[in-house]
Amino acid sequence: MKHAIILAAAMATALSATAARAATQADAAAALAAALAAEARAGQLRNQWLPTEAALKTAKAEMAAGHFDAAVTAAQRAEALAHRSVAQAREQDRAWTAAVIR
Amino acid sequence: MRSGRLYRVGFAIAALLGFVSLARAAQAPNPAADQRAFQAYFRSRFPTVKLADFGNGPYAVNALMRKQWEEIMAFPPYDFALDAGKAAFAKPFANGRGYADCFPNKGIGIRQTFPYFDTKTGEVVTLDLAINRCRIANGEKPLPYQVGLMAAITAYMAETSRGKAFDIKIPDDPRALAAYEDGKRFFYARRGQLNFSCASCHVQAAGQRLRGDILAPALGILAAFPIYRSDWGSMGTIDRRFTSCNAQVRSVPFAPQDKTYRDLEYFLSYMSNGVPITGPGARP
Repeated sequence: MKHAIILAAAMATALSATAARAATQADAAAALAAALAAEARAGQLRNQWLPTEAALKTAKAEMAAGHFDAAVTAAQRAEALAHRSVAQAREQDRAWTAAVIR
Repeated sequence: MRSGRLYRVGFAIAALLGFVSLARAAQAPNPAADQRAFQAYFRSRFPTVKLADFGNGPYAVNALMRKQWEEIMAFPPYDFALDAGKAAFAKPFANGRGYADCFPNKGIGIRQTFPYFDTKTGEVVTLDLAINRCRIANGEKPLPYQVGLMAAITAYMAETSRGKAFDIKIPDDPRALAAYEDGKRFFYARRGQLNFSCASCHVQAAGQRLRGDILAPALGILAAFPIYRSDWGSMGTIDRRFTSCNAQVRSVPFAPQDKTYRDLEYFLSYMSNGVPITGPGARP
């Protein structure tokens, strides 16, 4: 019983340490690169979204200011938005015909 | 026996090919059929509105707004732009030539024929693009496309075409059909974070309220351009409207006079053939 409690406490400590680990410049750069790549795909499909651009701008500004956690958060948001805009463009590539007045 | 089987197989292949070609024909661009269906839809949706009145946008479909507009028109808010446009149109370029030298009929009463498909260059030419090409050909700097002098000059040119019905041609040229289809696709395709298409507002929700606005029907929607919008507090061209619509649905707008915007103008104007020019217009 005592061992189990010690083990649980150790695991909790390890988990919270991981969660609290501050993002590094490399983390932020990787997140930003992924977001930019996704947004470039949206650009190729001519379907970029304004909130993606805003999130990218925030990510770059936070990175420049050395706020790497905030930069990662903004870049991940930008990447998610860019993926949605790519999905929208691909879906609408055929779906638009259903809306045509006939 | 064997020849009978071959006959059946041959017949099946021929039937399949026939079906495929029929399906292709059904999908092939047919602007005239599109136009008939488009106009019939709006005529059926707003049975009391005459075709000519669709050029008045929301005022054609909302009596209260029309009343307000009629009062506003006692002192049209675009009058200053109209005067500026008339003066600019008449002012010669540094080389002594002028806008009148660049257009048929000296630029008077021709707005209803724009945009047109230029079979030499293989592209859609809008009035705004033709004005800037005229300037460049005469050694002048091009004008910004969305506001200012471009809106003023197009206001004057539109005013000389008032009452003349849109007369847009689609030549028998695969490039013209491709441009038409590009504009049509853009009109119906959803975009932006809000997942709206042009048609979401101006077909499905035409005549309905979007916050404080009454959404104009797509039929005749460009007849009043350029417009003075109270919301803008100034004049704006078709480019200004397209880019602001796109931004409102949280999509990154294209550059003014982007090929797709010109194709969209081509599609919408062709759909509105028969609707008279009412520009310049005034909108809330």
